[in-house]
Amino acid sequence: MTQFTLNGQSVTVDVAEDTPLLWVLRDVLGFKGTKFGCGIGACGACTVHLNGRAIRSCIIPLSDAKGGQITTIEGLDPAGQHPLQKAWVETQAPQCGYCQSGQIMQAATLLKDFPNASDADIDAVMSGNLCRCMAYVRIRQAIKIAAAEIRNGAPHE
Amino acid sequence: MVKRLFTGVVTLMVLSGLGFLFFAWQPALTAIEPPQAAAFPAEQIAQGEQLALAGFCANCHTVPGGQDYAGGLGLDSGFGIIYTTNITPDPETGIGTWSEAAFFRAMRKGVSRNGAHLLPAFPYSHFAKITDPDLTALYAYFMTRTPVKAEKQRNTLPFPLNIRLLQAGWKLLFVNSSAGPYQPRADKSEAWNRGAYLSEGLGHCGACHTPRNALGGEKLDHAYGGAVIDHWLAPSLTHTNPSPLPWTEADLFDYLRNGASPLHGVAAGSMAEVVHMGLAKLPEADVRAIAVFFADLNGSATVDAAPALATAMARERNDTGSEADHGAQLFRTACAYCHYNNAERPAPARPELALSSTIFASDPVNFIHVVLDGIGSKDGIPGLYMPGFAKSLSDDDIAELASYLRRTRTDQPAWPNLIEAVASNRKSLTASH
Amino acid sequence: MSKFAKYAESAETSTGVSRRGFLIGAVSTGFTLAFLRPDALISSAEAAVAEGAFEPSVWYDIDRDGIVTVNIIRAEMGQHVGTSLARIVADELEADWNSVRLSYVDSNPKWGYMVTGGSWSVWQSFPYLSQAGAAGRIALIEEGARLLGVPKTACIARNSVVSGGGKSITYAEIIRKGNLARIYTAEELKAMPVKPAADRRLIGLPTKAMDIPGKTTGAARYGIDAEVPGMVYARPKLPPTRYGCTVLSIDDSAARSVPGYIKSVALDDPSGTVPGWVIVYADSFTAANQATDKVRVTWKNSDVTTVSERELLAHGAGLIDTPKIGALVVDDPGVDHVFATAKSKLERNYTTNTVLHFQLEPVNVLAFEKDGVWEIHTGNQWQSLILPTLAKALAVPEEKVVLRTYLLGGGFGRRLNGDYSVPGALAAKAFGGKPVKLMFTRPDDARFDSPRSCSVQRVRMAFGDGGKVLGMEHHATAGWPTQVMAPSFMPKGKNGEPFDPFSISGADHWYNVGAHRVRAISHDLANKTFRPGWLRAVGPGWTNWALESFIDEAAHLNGIDPVTFRLALLDGHGKNAGSAPNAVGGAIRQAAVLKRAAEKAGWGTPLPPDTGIGIATSFGQERDMPTWCACVARVKVNRADGRVKLEKLTVVIDAGTIVHPDGALAQTEGAALWGASMALHEGTTFANGQVKDTNLNTYTPLRMRDVPELDIEFIASTEVPVGLGEPATTVVGPAIGNAIYAAVGARVRHLPIRPKHILDALVGKPLGG
Ligand code: FES
Ligand code: FES
Repeated sequence: MTQFTLNGQSVTVDVAEDTPLLWVLRDVLGFKGTKFGCGIGACGACTVHLNGRAIRSCIIPLSDAKGGQITTIEGLDPAGQHPLQKAWVETQAPQCGYCQSGQIMQAATLLKDFPNASDADIDAVMSGNLCRCMAYVRIRQAIKIAAAEIRNGAPHE
Repeated sequence: MVKRLFTGVVTLMVLSGLGFLFFAWQPALTAIEPPQAAAFPAEQIAQGEQLALAGFCANCHTVPGGQDYAGGLGLDSGFGIIYTTNITPDPETGIGTWSEAAFFRAMRKGVSRNGAHLLPAFPYSHFAKITDPDLTALYAYFMTRTPVKAEKQRNTLPFPLNIRLLQAGWKLLFVNSSAGPYQPRADKSEAWNRGAYLSEGLGHCGACHTPRNALGGEKLDHAYGGAVIDHWLAPSLTHTNPSPLPWTEADLFDYLRNGASPLHGVAAGSMAEVVHMGLAKLPEADVRAIAVFFADLNGSATVDAAPALATAMARERNDTGSEADHGAQLFRTACAYCHYNNAERPAPARPELALSSTIFASDPVNFIHVVLDGIGSKDGIPGLYMPGFAKSLSDDDIAELASYLRRTRTDQPAWPNLIEAVASNRKSLTASH
Repeated sequence: MSKFAKYAESAETSTGVSRRGFLIGAVSTGFTLAFLRPDALISSAEAAVAEGAFEPSVWYDIDRDGIVTVNIIRAEMGQHVGTSLARIVADELEADWNSVRLSYVDSNPKWGYMVTGGSWSVWQSFPYLSQAGAAGRIALIEEGARLLGVPKTACIARNSVVSGGGKSITYAEIIRKGNLARIYTAEELKAMPVKPAADRRLIGLPTKAMDIPGKTTGAARYGIDAEVPGMVYARPKLPPTRYGCTVLSIDDSAARSVPGYIKSVALDDPSGTVPGWVIVYADSFTAANQATDKVRVTWKNSDVTTVSERELLAHGAGLIDTPKIGALVVDDPGVDHVFATAKSKLERNYTTNTVLHFQLEPVNVLAFEKDGVWEIHTGNQWQSLILPTLAKALAVPEEKVVLRTYLLGGGFGRRLNGDYSVPGALAAKAFGGKPVKLMFTRPDDARFDSPRSCSVQRVRMAFGDGGKVLGMEHHATAGWPTQVMAPSFMPKGKNGEPFDPFSISGADHWYNVGAHRVRAISHDLANKTFRPGWLRAVGPGWTNWALESFIDEAAHLNGIDPVTFRLALLDGHGKNAGSAPNAVGGAIRQAAVLKRAAEKAGWGTPLPPDTGIGIATSFGQERDMPTWCACVARVKVNRADGRVKLEKLTVVIDAGTIVHPDGALAQTEGAALWGASMALHEGTTFANGQVKDTNLNTYTPLRMRDVPELDIEFIASTEVPVGLGEPATTVVGPAIGNAIYAAVGARVRHLPIRPKHILDALVGKPLGG
């Protein structure tokens, strides 16, 4: 039995502790918004927050999430109206959309660390998230819009 | 380290003779009735508890998830596994029948109650420096733990390393047990002396941080010069530490108290246990005292850190790797989202590799170890987690990553034979898991 | 892809879709636009509805609240095709856009031919959907006018409201109160008066794509998210090579220690899609994954287990050197004579490496049998191609297989080839028809990919006095996806030899070059070693690399500016004059985008040292459906280490009518960056019969930090809308190559371009490879 907090609720699961967190979230708990792309921590599709920071859930054994606070895309904002999510719609960033949960979760940590993220900051932090549709131009644009909104006091996390 | 101890023992066999045997023989001390808990004053027990934490006794004498102090942790000697002993007051399997004198002898001379020599994995050469009152308190503490029946597992050492008597020869060469408990230095502050006492004695910092000679003895003329032990480099604690910024008293305190110094790196491996399981329970003044002692030892007070900090942060910002550089690609793909920094100083939750002691260290073992195994949220900076990449990245990938970071984030010479180093660490880590 | 499209159209005709009567009829929930059953002899629409003699919901229906649900038979994979198609319907229908919903449908013969690819969804669907929308509008106006008591000629429809004579009535009210039943013949439908472009109210105007919000909240569902109660998981154990291996024995003794492991089974595949496959079953993906690594399979190996990229390229060069083989796609008279008598000639060879699709969602499939029907749940681009294969593999009739529809986590042509659904279906069959979720790890996906084949090409040109172009030859060989997967789509060349149109298109360009010959050769060793795939734009990915690099070389050889040289050849004469409806204007439109791109990018203005701009142009995939496109790339080259920094891409496109401008822009941004990625960042090689790079530790597609400045412009046009997903992909590579030459004088003739190639070219070494 492994306990952790998922999107603010305590959950307990009974699966092998070496199961990557990604599959616990997706297949055991049914949170399908977090995606699988590479399984080696190199695409970012599986990004969730552990204790408030973006991590790649595909390379984290469940044992390491024990007692931690996990947030998935479903829990980023109760109404799906986080400034990043709104900016993502405004700029029409998603193409196939498969990478976007991870992009948004990573961008949330980016803005926490770099509230005035420059292009160089965005390049450095977001290059771990592959967008195979290459929607990068809009992702960048959306991050800047959301950053401005957050700076102006919009509620987030 | 353990491996080297045994090489020493084998060599000693050649030197052995009758005179040696005479020296080596130690009598058994009388077994006593296990004392009642009420026999020890509460303050003494409490003091003993603090001291046990400062000595990290549980790190070796408790298996993760097991009963406190029941022993059984396997230490890989390189020749075989040595299992730690049960130090609960169980009369049959623990130290319940040990008198205070037997306890003192074990702590200072490395001899069991029954006269057997303890393997030098037990750092009695350091414990010899503990004062009488502190040893008494430790005795009080251990004799009042819950007794646990736990047979000691047999070590898997091959002949002749399993001959206990031979340990005595090693002692003859390396343990100066006549020196007695720690003597304060009059020319140093009270805090310094307290730090020295804790570090040299109970804390046995040198057991890991002091390099050993071919026979496995600590090279006392190179005290705290850094050494590789159990697939970790215990870095130099002197001015020879190659970190770009000096480890100041404030940095050391930060690191020892919180498990991380933003300007140097985080505690991982057994050092994480030292910080989070041992030092964490010590009073602030004791941790500060250790920092005072080592800051003096490394001479950091005289160094201006500002230029080195500026250089490091510029290195990070102007990451110069080429697109065709495999290591650069990997860093940008799998590392930079946590490690990138852009400011004058690194952000607290973004460990800066251009400042990392690990990247500057002469041996890549810590880098390799951390990349393979990661750092749990309870190690290092509490709550901050680094995944291990053992299943994700190949030997070649990790070697390329290492050489790229070494090249672009430091001014140190390239690490040689990286692929082999990754491969051998991977092998021994999988074996030990 | 017009031959493809034509085939699809004719396939649609043959299933009777466009010949069948059509009705608008009331159903309990509202109104539907439907086809009559081919055999139905119906007196009235009411009777047809009463007798159920129709197939409901072909294009859209409108419910009693006025909600318009448009059926989307195309795969949603990032192009927001549902939004574009619904806009076409809603515009003609004069529907309120806020009342429009999308329904992505499962495979069913009533939809006609189901395929999404070649950038032609909008182009192909536009006429049908406009007519269907118009039919609905006319019916609603007629019935609205009757209910309002106003002559229908006095009524107009806007935003789901019919108004006239100072009165108005909503579509919802008309549906609730009126009788909309109508029957039209196919001819009547064809003649339906579609609005002139000036009256469009949705098409071409900005809108938000309907599939996007769900992709920001985690609500969007992809194939990988499909699950049914009680399903087990499985992972394939792939044989050493794509074809030709047979399982000799399976040893699962080590796998049995994995908790949750169920069993391992060698698949028996009558369709021959996945020979030598072993399926490893477990009760979770993690267990299946771990167990698969522990299962030991002994195979009888194929004879391609040693094939390398070097060998493939060398074999290709040998094919090019062999005269008389291959198909002559273009073969003007007099080519040999022109070359024999030319004043000067230029001949160059170009090569490209293997490229992976690497769509971010690894392929996966959930399959099971329910009530005698095999349900295949997976994202797919070409249902009509894989259905017969699935039926064959399962040994059931086609109507016993249905493909359920999901969003695609990237298509790029990977899921045109639905081969991954076959092992899923067989895995379920071998498990008693119970639900099995077959998951591919990323390395499995990469190894099982149908990659873009490596290619070898030779281009020659014959010049007369003053550099006048007299003749041209283009020889190309690569693995042919169409030959392997859909041979009936192969047309015949001038010499009667069949060829894969997608693997040579682009070489039949719009330049007037005098006597022109294009020869396409199937790369037999490639076809045998792996399953060549259609990858975003397919052939032009390499043909345009050779063509546009070569044109640049020819211009420089003759001391003519590359833009001037191209414009002179794009004169729009003769066979390059273009034709209605799709290629109106011909080469003149290509010349226009070229000129515009050069002008926007400041062609001819001085640049800093080691910085250069290069130009390239393309017409998309096929001459019958050209998307005119030009690109200028600006690069800075580091002479010391050969590194190329791509600073800017300027792209100008004339794609006729743009239905969804922002979607078109997004597609072009993605396509241009794909081009850059394939030119500078990705690409793999074969080693020992398989691709070498199977995950992102060594396969390195372009990332955020590599994105250049983009300047994209569409030419305003009301011509027929043509495809957008692919054209920009193929101009970027040669534009970069030409820019590198302009910057430092190094000519690269191999894709991807690596620093080493530039360093070699700088010291005059022959082309890298
Ligand atoms: S799936 Fe976790 S980083 Fe790619
Ligand atoms: S939107 Fe398709 S991978 Fe990013």
